[in-house]
Amino acid sequence: MRIAKLAGGLALAVLLHFVGTRLLPSFPQRVDVFLVVVVLSALDGNTFSAVLFGLLAGLVQDTLAGGNFGLFGFADTAVAYAMARLSQRLVIQRATGVFAVVSFASLLQQVMLAALAFLLLPNPPLPDPLAMLEQAAAKALACGVLGMVAYGLTGRFRVAVEARRRGRMGRLRLG
Amino acid sequence: MDERRTGYLLSILLLGQLVLVAIEGAHSTRSRTYAEVIGMRVLGPVAHLVAATSGAVTQAGGKVKLQGQLLDENRRLRQEVEQLRLRLLRLGDVEEELSRLGDAVGYSAPLLGEIRAVDVVYADYTSWLRSLMLYTGSRPATVNEPVLAAAGLVGRVVVVAGPYAKVQLVTDRAAAVGGMILRTRRQGLVRGSSQEGNALALDYVPLSVDVRSGDSVVTAGIDGVYPRGIPVGTVVAVEPGGQLFHKIRLAPAVDLGALDQVYLLEHAPLPQELTRGGGADAHR
Repeated sequence: MRIAKLAGGLALAVLLHFVGTRLLPSFPQRVDVFLVVVVLSALDGNTFSAVLFGLLAGLVQDTLAGGNFGLFGFADTAVAYAMARLSQRLVIQRATGVFAVVSFASLLQQVMLAALAFLLLPNPPLPDPLAMLEQAAAKALACGVLGMVAYGLTGRFRVAVEARRRGRMGRLRLG
Repeated sequence: MDERRTGYLLSILLLGQLVLVAIEGAHSTRSRTYAEVIGMRVLGPVAHLVAATSGAVTQAGGKVKLQGQLLDENRRLRQEVEQLRLRLLRLGDVEEELSRLGDAVGYSAPLLGEIRAVDVVYADYTSWLRSLMLYTGSRPATVNEPVLAAAGLVGRVVVVAGPYAKVQLVTDRAAAVGGMILRTRRQGLVRGSSQEGNALALDYVPLSVDVRSGDSVVTAGIDGVYPRGIPVGTVVAVEPGGQLFHKIRLAPAVDLGALDQVYLLEHAPLPQELTRGGGADAHR
């Protein structure tokens, strides 16, 4: 069930990424849908599944992005693990908490990407530092908002499913 | 799985990816990996589907809007076709004359090769790791094949996965193209600019060379990837960059944001033995 949920989340992220890029060409620069899905999945605190899912989502992102293959794979795997460890120590129940965690994860991922590109690539395709800082902050905010919205929606969905299940059980008991 | 084992797994995965990126970086090439090819095979059809759906929706909306304008446009296009036919006749004469002159001095111009149209299914030209994905149909592209638009150079194919191909855009910071200022025939190296999103820079043009705003820059044909004469961009600013070279900024010839179809140019590149030396940088 959990694997199906993760696969569904990733498929949804891919679709949202493609549609978003089609509608708004600067979408990949503004929001990282894959990272949001990775962080939301890591919030349950299971480091093993977070690492594997982070790796998979990162490699999907690497496939779509230019640059060297493995950059996003590395960053998303590390971020997923860090967020899973963080959620073992923090109790995140409110959407604002999710906003803070996803925004922080986005900043962490972008710092890692920039550091990797700077250290490992001979001619790193990085923009100038000020523009990069601006972009990183805007992207972190956008990811945070998307994470908050997605968390709220999945929460409502979960509540609705639970209510339906209880209703069914109630009917069975009465019958 | 306990935390310790997950830690080991994480270390192995991170180290593996680090090595992968480092090897690619050290080789200065955009080599393909099996994971990337598999990824493109899986994601390509989804991108294609989204592009087709979006195209169909746009077309349906446009049909209603365009119906009133069709007659006018048809008339205008007929006139344009007539003018182009006349121009083609004149150019045919010029081509014949050039060929006769070439024969007289024993010069044979390199053949440009066949051009075929392919669809763009995914384009990210804004982020710093920008890319373009093409659907090439039953005839797959080949690595290093130049990609053109009607206005000029778009980039080159770097990864091929069946009917899908990934393109390194000319505005990519890691891309390099042998360029030439058309007016003076002075050669330099065109790179994606790190300062501005979709701008280009023309490097290694000495201060002694006359460069002006508005000068056209075309491919020089010296890198073994792109044939000579494809428009790359126009000079928009020239500043003294240092003691030796100009700092030249170019506006790309192609509006990368408006690409829904591009052309693959099938031409015979230089033999590998020749490109291993001076032109190696331009292969990145």
